[in-house]
Amino acid sequence: MLHGGLIAGRPYIVSGPPGSGKTILAMQFLREGLEGGEHCLFVALEEPPNEVKVNMRAFRWNLDDLEILDANSDIRRFEPTPILEISTETEPIKMRELEERIRKTPDFESHEVTVHSLQQLLKKLFLRRKYHRVVIDSVTALKYFCMREFEETVTMQSFMRFLTEAGVTSILSLELPDSGEAPSEAFLARGEIRLHKLRDESGIKRFISVEKYKGSSHEEFVFPFDITNAGVRVHVGATASPPSGL
Amino acid sequence: MGDRVNTGVEGLDAMLKGGFLPARPYVVSGPTGSGKTILAMHFLLEGLRQGEPCLLVTMDEPPSEIKANMAVLGWSLGRLKILDATPDVRAHKRVRSVIDVGTTMDVRDMEDVNGMRQPSQIHALEVSVHSVQKMIKQEFAQRLEQTSQRYKRIVIDSLTALKMFSMQGEDSRILIQSFMRFLAELEATSLIVAEHLRRDTIETEFFLSRGEIRLHKWLDGNVIRRALSIEKFRGSSFDDRICAMTIGNAGIVVFPNAQAAFRGTSSELRVGESFLESRIIEEVSNLLDSVLRQIDEAHRRQLPVKDIEVAVSRAMVHFQRRHYQKALKAALACDAQIKQRMGELPPPPPPASLPKPPGVGG
Repeated sequence: MLHGGLIAGRPYIVSGPPGSGKTILAMQFLREGLEGGEHCLFVALEEPPNEVKVNMRAFRWNLDDLEILDANSDIRRFEPTPILEISTETEPIKMRELEERIRKTPDFESHEVTVHSLQQLLKKLFLRRKYHRVVIDSVTALKYFCMREFEETVTMQSFMRFLTEAGVTSILSLELPDSGEAPSEAFLARGEIRLHKLRDESGIKRFISVEKYKGSSHEEFVFPFDITNAGVRVHVGATASPPSGL
Repeated sequence: MGDRVNTGVEGLDAMLKGGFLPARPYVVSGPTGSGKTILAMHFLLEGLRQGEPCLLVTMDEPPSEIKANMAVLGWSLGRLKILDATPDVRAHKRVRSVIDVGTTMDVRDMEDVNGMRQPSQIHALEVSVHSVQKMIKQEFAQRLEQTSQRYKRIVIDSLTALKMFSMQGEDSRILIQSFMRFLAELEATSLIVAEHLRRDTIETEFFLSRGEIRLHKWLDGNVIRRALSIEKFRGSSFDDRICAMTIGNAGIVVFPNAQAAFRGTSSELRVGESFLESRIIEEVSNLLDSVLRQIDEAHRRQLPVKDIEVAVSRAMVHFQRRHYQKALKAALACDAQIKQRMGELPPPPPPASLPKPPGVGG
């Protein structure tokens, strides 16, 4: 559909409503990189990494070498406690070393993730080693929880700019509401892959479309896809004709 | 895969391939009166049946009402621990000092619940996310100390109430994120009752939850019909159909094999937005289907139909974006065009009840 893949070194958006398969698609993107021996980083902002690990087990992918960065904010405290910025504290860990249980908020301090601290941390990591593929799951969480004192659109733009300058190919997942307009983040990326979730009487039908792709031609049609044991599989018809059986 | 946590709802566990994944927060959503609280009670009752410690945090209804409602179903929830986080009547006189529930409330057994809690004359209880969190935490610690047991199941009924009464403004997203994180760290399987307030924004609890069970309710003629669907379930496969559901003497029963009657026999549709929408979806998809088949046929006959293909893809995009009315219009236009070009009606006639095109110019 993308006529060959994503152009390296640019940020892309994968958008869709909750439960449409964004995280799985992003994981597949990382796994592809791992198989080619690339350094990959998953930044978890929505789910604790231990749950991501359990969830991905069903696919039997070898993600052992995937580095995962836990950027979930701790439980917020109401008493004044020292707040540690994650940029000074957290390090990514390899998937294989990940514990099965959730990280607990420490008693006397809590970690707080802000866009600023995350960006700083990523900068440090990027300096230390070259990452080829990065997934931010999700920018909605980043926007909702980590931008308290920031102007959202401008900050998001600068974050994407930062990713571009770092020279990594990145996928940012974005939650879409059930109906209504797409959030502004979609305009900022170099491309958007949108996942659709539709219901009919026989269950959920999933579709995928390339909404925008700068610097390349792409398929204009909407294609159905499934989530199977092997992950997301797009059914690109043998001919160029769009799928029937909607 | 590890163990699953049964929901106790007949039929639903099968849809979930066994139940929830343990130690994660889930959401049950639906319009008012769709059975959310009953479903949550099933979940707790099942836990009690298996001898697990269970906790209900109520913010909507006072415990005495819940007790009365559940007695109708003949359920004894005697061993259920209940945390009453319903705020008092707001005091409008300034002399009464406001006291956080976190400092005064304690947890009771369901069987000790009698009447309504009477607001005190001298102070009014206020609920905040913080105080609720604190109460739950205290209760967890106490339980662990006294019986060395951990709560296995928690129900929060409802987050919408908490959101509406105890949080304001921008910060609510962060508070909910923090609250969900708090629930996850408790390592109990929690079920959060919530309502979708708006369809055009993404509400925090729905994308942060590890799964969502949605309850549907619509009017078919003068009968209320109910259905249940799983919208999202991380880390597991699931039955993705909308399944019919009833609320009877035994509580909720889901029928995974009898699908919700979207192809209702009576064509008289009076109310029920979701029902109407599903009809439109059905019609549009049938129509698109038949147009696509005709395009294939046209290819075979080597007729030029490139422009219609483009128009169809446009209609499909409308469909994906849920602009069903627009999609219907576009699909009807395509249908008329291709029929005209082929100069005859296609061999397989489209389903019986296609609406007449209102003013299709082609």
